[in-house]
Order: sequence, then structure tokens, then C-alpha cells
Amino acid sequence: MILDIITSGLINGSVYALLAIGFSLIFGAARIVNLAHTAFYMVASYCIYYATHKMGIHPVLAMLVAIILVTLIGLVCYRIFINPIREHEAAVLIATIALAMAMQEIMLLIFTGDFLSVPSLVSGYLKIIGVKIAYQQLLTICVALLILAGVWVLLKKTRLGLAIRSTADDREVANLMGMNESRVAMITMGVSVGLAGFAGAVVVPLTVVNPHMWMHPLIMMLAVVVLGGLGSLKGSFIGAYILGFAESLVVFLIPLGAFLKGSVALCIMILVLVIRPEGLFGVAFEEER
Amino acid sequence: MKKTSFLWSILLVLLLVMAVSPAAWGAKVIKIGVIGPMNFVQGKGHWNGATMAAEEINARGGLWVGKKKMKVELVKADSNEFLSMTDATNAMELLLTRHKVDFIVGGFRTEAVLAMQDMAMDYKKIFLGCGAATDEICTRVAKDYNTYKYWFRHTPINSTNLGKTSFIHVGTVAAIMKKYLNIPKIKVAVVAAKATWTEGVVKVSPVILPKMGMEVVGVWRPSPVATDVTAELSAIQRSGAHIIFNWFSASAGITFSRQAGELKIPAMQVGINVEAQKDSFWEATQGMGNYVMTLNTYARGVEVNELTAPFMNRYIDRFGETPTYTADTYGAIIYALAPTIEEAETLDSDKIVAILENREYAVPSGRIAYMKDAQGRHLHDVKWGPGYETALGVQWQDGELKGVWPNRWKASADAPEITYKGVVPYKIAPWVIEKYKK
Amino acid sequence: MALPSRKRGRMGILGVYLRKIYTLFKGEVLILPSRIVVFLFFVIVLFLPVVTQDPYLLRILILTSIFAILAASWDLLSGFTGQVNFGHALFFGVGAYTSALLNLHALIPPWGSIPLGAVAAVVAGLIVGIPCLRLRGTYLALTTLAFPIILMGIVFAIPDITGGELGVSGLSRLSNSRLHDYYITVVVMLGLCTIMWKITDSKTGIIFHAIREDELAVRASGINTTRYKLLAFSLSGLFAGISGGLYAHFMRIAGPSTLEVSMSFTVVIWAVFGGIVTIYGPVGAVFILFPLLEFLRFWPEFRMLMFAVVILLILLYMPDGLLPWVRDKIEKECPRCKIRNIATRKACRVCTALLD
Repeated sequence: MILDIITSGLINGSVYALLAIGFSLIFGAARIVNLAHTAFYMVASYCIYYATHKMGIHPVLAMLVAIILVTLIGLVCYRIFINPIREHEAAVLIATIALAMAMQEIMLLIFTGDFLSVPSLVSGYLKIIGVKIAYQQLLTICVALLILAGVWVLLKKTRLGLAIRSTADDREVANLMGMNESRVAMITMGVSVGLAGFAGAVVVPLTVVNPHMWMHPLIMMLAVVVLGGLGSLKGSFIGAYILGFAESLVVFLIPLGAFLKGSVALCIMILVLVIRPEGLFGVAFEEER
Repeated sequence: MKKTSFLWSILLVLLLVMAVSPAAWGAKVIKIGVIGPMNFVQGKGHWNGATMAAEEINARGGLWVGKKKMKVELVKADSNEFLSMTDATNAMELLLTRHKVDFIVGGFRTEAVLAMQDMAMDYKKIFLGCGAATDEICTRVAKDYNTYKYWFRHTPINSTNLGKTSFIHVGTVAAIMKKYLNIPKIKVAVVAAKATWTEGVVKVSPVILPKMGMEVVGVWRPSPVATDVTAELSAIQRSGAHIIFNWFSASAGITFSRQAGELKIPAMQVGINVEAQKDSFWEATQGMGNYVMTLNTYARGVEVNELTAPFMNRYIDRFGETPTYTADTYGAIIYALAPTIEEAETLDSDKIVAILENREYAVPSGRIAYMKDAQGRHLHDVKWGPGYETALGVQWQDGELKGVWPNRWKASADAPEITYKGVVPYKIAPWVIEKYKK
Repeated sequence: MALPSRKRGRMGILGVYLRKIYTLFKGEVLILPSRIVVFLFFVIVLFLPVVTQDPYLLRILILTSIFAILAASWDLLSGFTGQVNFGHALFFGVGAYTSALLNLHALIPPWGSIPLGAVAAVVAGLIVGIPCLRLRGTYLALTTLAFPIILMGIVFAIPDITGGELGVSGLSRLSNSRLHDYYITVVVMLGLCTIMWKITDSKTGIIFHAIREDELAVRASGINTTRYKLLAFSLSGLFAGISGGLYAHFMRIAGPSTLEVSMSFTVVIWAVFGGIVTIYGPVGAVFILFPLLEFLRFWPEFRMLMFAVVILLILLYMPDGLLPWVRDKIEKECPRCKIRNIATRKACRVCTALLD
């Protein structure tokens, strides 16, 4: 049973980590709480569905197309709707919710409310010490780790990464140092939405596609990011696995209460915040108002 | 003086004309409101079935209401009940006050139907329910007959009877597995999505299943919209269950069947899986939902009586898919309302109620008679049993949804054996056979 | 002017008062377009049933009033004290469920169960407010998001008491007729919103506003911000709880739909659309948007989409909200004495400074 919990926790955690990393990135760099992050993930899923079912394209190619398409859409939305109102934090929050709702409605219009699905990249399963794991789930774990490694390399080893990190630390000073802060924000937005698209590509064969699929992952992702500390990638990663394991524990130890796994995860988040208001690895910005 | 009396007479004439014309205009058609979640399969079924019924009635000129022949006009109302309760009640309000409908059919989500029912009863309009199964909607009729007598459930059978039928299904599958795989005692894992309609099942399964000779190895309650159930499936596999007795009404049904199929969990899924009733299930599970059995009302090729095939064929020809049970708005209008209106010779709700509650009539899914409760009070609920409404058991076999129950079923030891025309034998999944065959 | 002395004797006192009211009216209300609008709003809402009693229309307005109270209560908390609450549905749901349960099991009639439901919502406000004391900005917003979800989990976990997803049904009506329902709701709405408006104008309100602007400075002034922040949560919970109780008794059912995330989000959208840090903003927004959304039901496919697009456009061009934007167009603030004037004036009505 321990093994079940570990594998299940790893899988859940990887899914959340994939989503949380992108969200954390844009918040850290541009202080934008992009509540439409999982909506982009949903749009990517629908793109993949359309490409594989209606156009018969090979799944991997469909994934690439979806990621590029979603990134473009994300950048356009950012440019038109979010950039002009970046100064008003509350307005940005509402704008991203409205964007998410708009995307939901468009998907509802085009595809109706029926439940759809996307074929797995790899089908079949693997048996390790009596536990069955689908190959697709293993893929998710590996991809999550790869992406994290990739983002880490991007941030630590490249000049763009340096620019992102400096803007995250102090926007004004970065601007003074000659970095085009709004361009950095836009690039970060692109990377963030691209990551959402990637998450969609990898996770979607495991779930059901429907216009409301973005709400539950949004809540869990917010819990993860808040728990780990807003703006901290390491925090998001670790927070994702903590909540993933918490969910597995609930399902295995209290099967009758399996539906409560979301609530339990949120309670853990609140508890941590009561003890440490900036999350596990967050930095408390004293001068930020 | 002359001028004023002239003006008064004009006013009087106008008022008379206005008073007469609504009666004249309104009396020409029978207005039936169809209320349901029109953006979803259930609401589409409501509307499609009703449309077929209205067209059929109007093609023969309408219904005889006393000496007059009146046509049927449908009013579509999108309750959006999955997403907004206020939308549902607003839609019902529109039907009742703006369109002034004479009858209402439809409804699906229980929370919404309870509120909509109250409103229709206030206006004393007959409401035929075609979707919500909760017992309470009909026990209200028994408790407060004078207020709620205008409500009749048309489909499905109520939750208690749905449960009863599902237990019969489990027993049937258990007997088949026992016989062909030589399993001494069948182990059952109960997986019931967390929802009010499954509360009863969760409580009684650990009691009833052992009485049927089976062992309950665990009860799991995932969220109805769970996107990942691998944790539950791992635990179920470990428990050594032969049968998974499942209860799903939303997307979790697809997720569960797909993941169970992908991981080739060695257990047969039986129970109620609403998503598995739809034609789109095969594609939604990417073919992994093979051998899933669920309760259903209609299945291609299965004929309950002589009305089933004509209805199903016309529906499939017209709309391209098998009717779900919400399309029984067809039966509600053609077999429940129309003959009753003609017999009552009026649209008056009280008179129609008095006749309808005592009628017994055939519909494409069986025969409808209205139940009374233990104290003999009217429930206006659909009677279950051989010769009445029994529902079907259907199983996905290689991309097709086939009827597998009732197949040589005896309701009790001295009851006649029942087999509906068109059912085929139940199939056990090859990987299950492989695991257990000795 | 010169009335015959007989008539003047009888009408004298009444005439004096009427003239007084008239002068007051002319001096206080008619000088500013925004006040005229508010006055007209009161009049229209209170006297609408004289013109029409269409039950459908009354139903829409009743629901609008209930949600207007809810939106205004959000503004009181999140607009004025800056503690952005993404889980406002919690208060709504607690108010609705508590009054429903009291009504069903303890047989308390609506005029008792609704206030008691509101008290329960106040307690909920404190439960949410206390952990949030140490949190700021986005952390606070996201934490408040969690509470209604947790409560919804609890509601589903004890279906025997809460009815699970069926909710609590079979509640008594607010009153015997649609018209009485209308007047009860509308009068309560006007009353509560006026009270909220008065709160924001009082010392408490100023402190709330100051907390939003610079909490450190407020604390440095010696004011116990903890107490005021909790007060804000409690007041907001009280009013939202009343609206929840009204909703439950009007719909005659209290279900988990009152706790949904979409309800929380919708409240925030209304308030931001109408203009935060005003009380009239959210009220106006609900009165515009809710009937609009209902009117658009004839194009169900495009309804929510148009709603979302409208919101986005408002945010782009009127980021402070619709009503403040309109208000700024029709009124001008005097640069010297800060009194508002109608925009068509050239000079301030009080200090005669030139208005640009």
C-alpha cells in the first residue's frame, strides 16, 4: 500500500507541478496572477483533440501545434487585455477570470458540453512490485522533471533567465539597468503559457476534456503555489508534491472520503499559511504595497 | 355628454375585443413547455423527443379537446440547471407567466427539479418529470396531495428501484462468473461517486450483497467529476475484487472506465454509469470502456414491446443517435398526456390529474402504472416490475452497446421467465478470464 | 404668493414643511446628477409595481436586489479595507443554509431565521478573518478562495443534515405574494445599502479606507487594525448572510450552488465592473448586469461570452469601474475645495473657483 501511495502521489504531484511552474513564473517575473492559466491548458487540450480526431494528425505533432497555437493566443491576449491594465492588480485578476470564462464559452460553443478524450501517447501499463502504472503516467512524471530542469537551466544559465530573475527581484532597478522590463514580461508570459500548453499535452490523455475542466486544476494549482510561496519555483515544485501526496493519502486511508481530497489539500494550505504567511519558500516583500 | 358616451362605448368595445381575443387566440393551441439543460445531451433528448411527439400529433390534425381540435405547440426553455439554479427557476417562471403553458415536461437535476416543481404546483400546471430519479420528488405528492398532485414522474424509475435493478444485475453477473470461472465466492468492490443519489447504495450494499452470497471488499467514494482514479483502482486491484459495483453519473464514469480498461484491472464493472449509456462513450474512453455494463432504458436492437422499435428507429433516423431516457418526453406527450386530454375533453388540470393517476398504458420502454405508497396514498411514481417498467442492462461489446438483461430473468421463484427480444449473452472480459480461469 | 388668509391658516404648518422639504430637495439632491440618479433609483424601484406587476419582472428584480446586497457587502470588505475576498460565496452559503436549516427543523419563520443566518455568517466571517490577519494581497485572496470549497466538501460529507447536492428544500416563503416578496427584498436592499454607505462615511469607514491605502501608517497612528479588519469581515458577513437567507427563502431551497467558486467570482466581477470602493458601484453593476444576463437568455450560446467580453472591455477602458467613470464624466471636482460640481458648471458652487 505504501508503494501505491508513493506512485499515486508522484503522479498527482507531477501534474500539479507542471501547471504550477508556469503560473509561478509569470507571477514572479511580472506580478501577474494569471487565473486563466489552466484555461490555456484547456484550450491546448481541445486543440489536441481537434487535431487528432478531426484532422487525423499524429498525436506528437498535434501536441507541438497545440503548444505553439496556445502560446500565440496567450501572447495576443496579454498584449490586448492585460498589458494595458497591469498597474491595477485587482483589475488584472478580474481580467484573467473574464478571459478564462470567455475561453470556456468559446470551447462550449464549438465543441458543446459533451465529454471528449484524447488518445494516450503511449498505451499500456507497467507492473512494478505489484503496482500497475500506466506508461502515460510515467511519461507525465518524467516530463515534469524534465521541464523543471529546463526551466531551471533557463533561469540560471541564460541571459534571458537573468533578466527574468532581476525583474522579479526589483522591477524598477532592472529597468534602470537597461533591461526592457515589458519585453521581459511578455517573453515570460509566452514561456508561461507555453508551459501550460505543454502540461495540457502531457496530462490530457489522462483526463476527460470538457469546457469546465479548468476550474478544479486552477484551485489545486493555486493551493500549490500559495503553499509553496508565490514566486518561488522551488516552492511550487515541492508544494505540488506535498499536496499530491496528501491527496493520495486521503484516497488510500479514507476510501469513503475520497471526494474530500481537494478539501483536505486546501486545509493543509491554510494551516501552512497560518504558521508561515508567505508560504513555505516565499519571500515576504515588505516594501511591496 | 354625447362625446363622452361615444368615447366610453369605443373603450367598451375595445375592452370586449381585448377580453375575447386572448381567449380566441390562446384557445387555438395546447402549449407544452419543454424544460431542460438544452446545451447538454439530456436537454437535447428532452427537446428531440418532444418535437417528434408534437409533429406526430399535429400531423393528424391535433388533439380533440371536447368538440374542438387543437394543435400542440412546444415552448423551449433552457434551464441551464447544471450551472445555475437561478437560471432554472427563471426559465420555469417564463414558461408559467409569460408563455402561460398548459403542461410542462422535462427536468433533470434534482436540486433544480425540486424548485421548479414548487413553482409549477403554485400555478397548478401539470408537470411530467423526465429525468430526475430521486424518491423525494414523489413522496411530496403523498405528503401533500392537494399541492403536489399535478406532478407525475414519467421516467426514470425512482432511485430505490434503480438500486433494486442494479443489485439484480450484480447478482446476474456474479452467477455467470461463478459458473464459468469456478469462483467459490465473488468479491465485490463498491465504487459510488459522492452524490446524494448514491447514499442509499453505500449504506445497503454491505448488507444486501453478503445476503446474495457475495463479499464486499471495500467501498470507495470518488468525486463525481474526478479526473484521476488510479489510486482507487490500485486499491481495488489489491483487494482482489471480481466485480466493481459502480455508480457514476458524471465524467468520473468515463475516467474510471478508461483507466480501469487501460490498466486491465481484472474485475467486471456493473452498476449505473450514466456516461456509458451514451453512444459517445466508446470514443470518450478511447475504446477502453469495453465490457462495461450499466443500467439503461433503451438499447439498439432490444424491443420491450411493440412500441419500442418504431420509436427507436424513427428517433435514430431523425437524430442519428440512440435515444437516452430523457427523450421519453415523447412518451410523456403521446401516451400520457394526449389520450388523457382527449378522455377528459378539457385542459383543466384537476380533471386530467384525476384520470391520469388511475390509468395504465404502454410506452416504448414498458408499461406505466402509478404507484401508491404503503399507506395507499398516491405517489404519482412509476411502478417497477415485470410487465411494467424494468429498465435494461446493457453492455459495451467491441464498440457496440448491446442489451444483456433481462435475459431469462425470473423476478421471483414462481414468476415467469422474462427475456426481451434482442438481448444477447453477457461477455466476460478476456483478461478477467485469463486471471481467474482454473 | 398671496393666498387668501383663511386657506393659509389651515395649510400654514403643512405648507411650511412642504416648502422646507422642497428647498432641501432642491439644495441637496438636484444640484448633483449623481444624487438625482440615486433618488430616481429609489423612486423607480419603490414605485415600479404601480406600473406593472408582471411576476417574471418582479422575480428578476427580487433576485437582483438580493445579489446587490451581496455585491455591496463584498465591496465593504474588499474594496474598502483592501482585503480581497475570493470566497465571498462562503457568507452567502452559510447564511442560506443556516436560515434554511433553522426554518426547516426549528420551524423558525423567515423574519427570525434570516437574521440568525446572518449571525452565523458573521461567525464565518471571523473564522475566515482570523487566519487572514497575517496574510497580504494575493495570499489572502487565494486563501479566502479555499474556505467555501472546504465548506462544500463538508456539506457533501454530511448529507443527512445538509441534503448533500440536493440542498435543503421545502422552506417557507418570504411572504404570501410575489408583490410582498418584492417589497420586502427591495426595502431591505435599500435599507442595508444605505447603512453600508453610512458606514463608509463614518469614522469606521475612513479607517477601513486608510487600512487599504497604508496599513502601517494606520497602525502607527495608534489604531488597532486587527480589530477593524475583523470588524470588516464581520460586517461583510452579516450583510452577505442576510442576502443568503433572503435567497434561500425566496427560492425555497438552499443548495450547494450557493457555495460555488463561480458565485464568488461572479460577485467580484460585478463589484469590479461597477466600481470598487464605492457602495453604489456594485449595486449599480448588479442592476445592470443581472437583468442583462437574463435578457440575453434568448441567445444562450453567446450569453456568457458576451458577458465576459463586456467585462474585458470595461476593464480596458474604465479600470476603476463603470459607475465612477460615468460619474467623472458628469461631475467635476473643484480643485480648491474638493466639492463635487455638475460638469457643465464653469465655477464651483461653493468657493467660486474656476473648474477646468
